[in-house]
Amino acid sequence: MQTIFETPKTIKENSRFSFCPGCDHGVAIKLVAQVLDELGLQENTILVASSGCSVNLYDYLELDCIEAPHGRACAVATGIKRAHKVQGKEKFVFTYQGDGDFASIGLGESLHSALRGENITAICINNTNFGMTGGQMGPTSVLGQITSTSPQGRNKETHGFPIKTAEHIALCDGTSFSARVALFDVKNILKAKNAIKKAFEYQKQGLGFSFVEILASCPTNWRLSPLESHNKIENELTKTYPLGIFKDIKND
Amino acid sequence: MSYIVIDESKCKSCYLCINACPKKLIKAKEKPNNFGEYTAEFKDDKKECIACAKCALVCPDIAITKVVKE
Ligand code: SF4
Ligand code: SF4
Ligand code: SF4
Repeated sequence: MQTIFETPKTIKENSRFSFCPGCDHGVAIKLVAQVLDELGLQENTILVASSGCSVNLYDYLELDCIEAPHGRACAVATGIKRAHKVQGKEKFVFTYQGDGDFASIGLGESLHSALRGENITAICINNTNFGMTGGQMGPTSVLGQITSTSPQGRNKETHGFPIKTAEHIALCDGTSFSARVALFDVKNILKAKNAIKKAFEYQKQGLGFSFVEILASCPTNWRLSPLESHNKIENELTKTYPLGIFKDIKND
Repeated sequence: MSYIVIDESKCKSCYLCINACPKKLIKAKEKPNNFGEYTAEFKDDKKECIACAKCALVCPDIAITKVVKE
């Protein structure tokens, strides 16, 4: 008898996610927890949670955690990492943010953390809208995307173009790793896990800012079933947001 | 006999596991629970489960709490 899968140790016992049915947030959190387990990081980690649907992430993960308001997660993580370092303590610090948090209201904090080469990791869930507040158009919404604030679809004349976050982060000289992954099937879920693992390992090795953008579903605001949402990511969103590794300091 | 464990209290009836199982061993229950949801159920009369854990990997709510290979 061999256990092939069990609930990761880093997931709090008896926790039940508050996400909508079929929401990819749950898959991403499971992968993060699995990687923390596998790298033995749970005891030494500080999580910086953010605003958005994952705002109460500390209810699900058995980790030391702090909440950063409105896009400031990377700035808060910077302070935590540096303050511990000054005292001779090396903490593993990562942020978990949505696209609205990381790439919209917090873009300045995020980009400058990468430019400073802060030795932290940021995980950004990109579901191309402001999920928690009712599916408004965000900077990540793709051209033509119908949202609650772009009922005719996003158009470049009025709203401009969507931001390719992983590519931007990759351009920062302080970045050690930047990748975009997706969760629409088993193969891609495993790739996403490898990317998260690499990003975490690079922080452990002190290589600088590591980043994983995860294309994720928001079935509720997209008004699609969980399965249709995954098809949309595979067939439509990956055209605007190609999957891949945009920077790997060890290969460059 | 390999098997999976589904925690019904966590299942939100998204049915991503039903789509992911290569052996088609997961189905929606015939009767709804107290919330009116037809949660997922593991049915493997012919003992076909290969413990591939695809169902557990895709489940967004960690409602599939265990996959055991025998
Ligand atoms: S609103 Fe969207 S992102 Fe938020 S929990 Fe629901 S499906 Fe997930
Ligand atoms: S472990 Fe594999 S074969 Fe068994 S129920 Fe899950 S997906 Fe199906
Ligand atoms: S994937 Fe998980 S939550 Fe969705 S139906 Fe299957 S067991 Fe339930």
